[in-house]
Amino acid sequence: MLLAMLGGAVVAQEETPAGSPLSSEAFESVTPRPAEPLSKVDLNEAIRLDTLTIPSPGELMSALNKEAKPNWQNEYRQPIPTTFSSRAQIALNVGGLIADGYIALEAEDAQQVKNIGKDIVALAKSLAVSDSVIARGNSIVDFAENNEWPALKEELEATQNEVKLALEQQRDGDLVWLVSLGGWIRGTDAVSGMISENYTPESARLLRQPAIVSLMREKMKTLPEKVQNDPLVEHVSQKLNTLETLVSFPPESTPSAEEVKELKKVTKELVEEISRKEESK
Amino acid sequence: MGGLLLSSVPHPAQSPSPSPVATPASPGKPSDAEVAARASALEVAGAFSNDGFKIRDGHWTGAIKLKEPKVIQVNLYAGNQYWFIAAATEEAKSVQVAVYDETGKPVEWEPYYNERQSAAGFSPSASGPYYVSVEATEGDPATFCLIYSYK
Repeated sequence: MLLAMLGGAVVAQEETPAGSPLSSEAFESVTPRPAEPLSKVDLNEAIRLDTLTIPSPGELMSALNKEAKPNWQNEYRQPIPTTFSSRAQIALNVGGLIADGYIALEAEDAQQVKNIGKDIVALAKSLAVSDSVIARGNSIVDFAENNEWPALKEELEATQNEVKLALEQQRDGDLVWLVSLGGWIRGTDAVSGMISENYTPESARLLRQPAIVSLMREKMKTLPEKVQNDPLVEHVSQKLNTLETLVSFPPESTPSAEEVKELKKVTKELVEEISRKEESK
Repeated sequence: MGGLLLSSVPHPAQSPSPSPVATPASPGKPSDAEVAARASALEVAGAFSNDGFKIRDGHWTGAIKLKEPKVIQVNLYAGNQYWFIAAATEEAKSVQVAVYDETGKPVEWEPYYNERQSAAGFSPSASGPYYVSVEATEGDPATFCLIYSYK
């Protein structure tokens, strides 16, 4: 037995606040040392990373699957162009396509996953990224052909992170947050659409994401001036103000059906504008 | 309840290989210590994968020492289950992971502990921002890595 005991006190299996024991058969529980509350300084100085602080689109979809039985195919969109001249627009669309990949995964639609994987590779090539991204894209196609859904979820995020790494290596690290933003907007578009079609208070409360939009707005302000002046980026920045209002409600509140519809409307329009080719001038 | 022999943990390579994304704590190529800490964290995460948990591809590495917890903000969704997993290099004798709500108040979490590997299981009842701390509770300054998985 390799498990040690923290503080020497072994206790019975505890249940989490939500009432679902986590992996209870696999691990022994031990009592953690009581944690002190964090100070305001701790909260303000907490690290915020795009790869951990921003949830993957799959996490939001996973939560919705527990509240409803969504028909994810209803949230498919037409294939988007894969040739843009603006690198900022490409970054936003890579994130959006990754979210499309999660939607196709939830629908367990192998052909759709393969199509999206090919589009991701095409967009990545226009960023002149490394062969590793292309290899990831090819892996997506291979996993889809074999219906390896759990592995695909991890491969999709790994592909997104390879693109981000390539951007950093090309001194385009500022665009990394745009990849995350594009994915979050498309994921929220799809999930708010599903919720507005089959509204329940429980599912509507999933849309509470104030810190994500706040962080995205903060990061948009740190983009190089040239990128901030891109008309599409300017437009997205403005819309984030509206989005922040829509997803920033108190924990005990529930957005109304109308508010969810409004969120769907705003995110849908943004998704369309991000993928519109003439916007990249 | 039976414990888990770590030797039974599937090798992370059975899953899609993680991408080498750099973090602000480790610009450029990761150090050997960061790679070792991440491999150790992935070893634990591999066991949770058997239970259906998906491992996030991102990670956070950095230096850690006694009484100086490191804190990261995460955004969680109600209904999902999460494991936050930290591992440190051998200089640290033990590490602890803790989870806090958006006001900084500790929440109840399910702990897993194995010397330099530690994890906190949490299932939020409300969607929103939370904080996760990693703290060395014994030993010398070391390098740590935090990852998380969800289902």
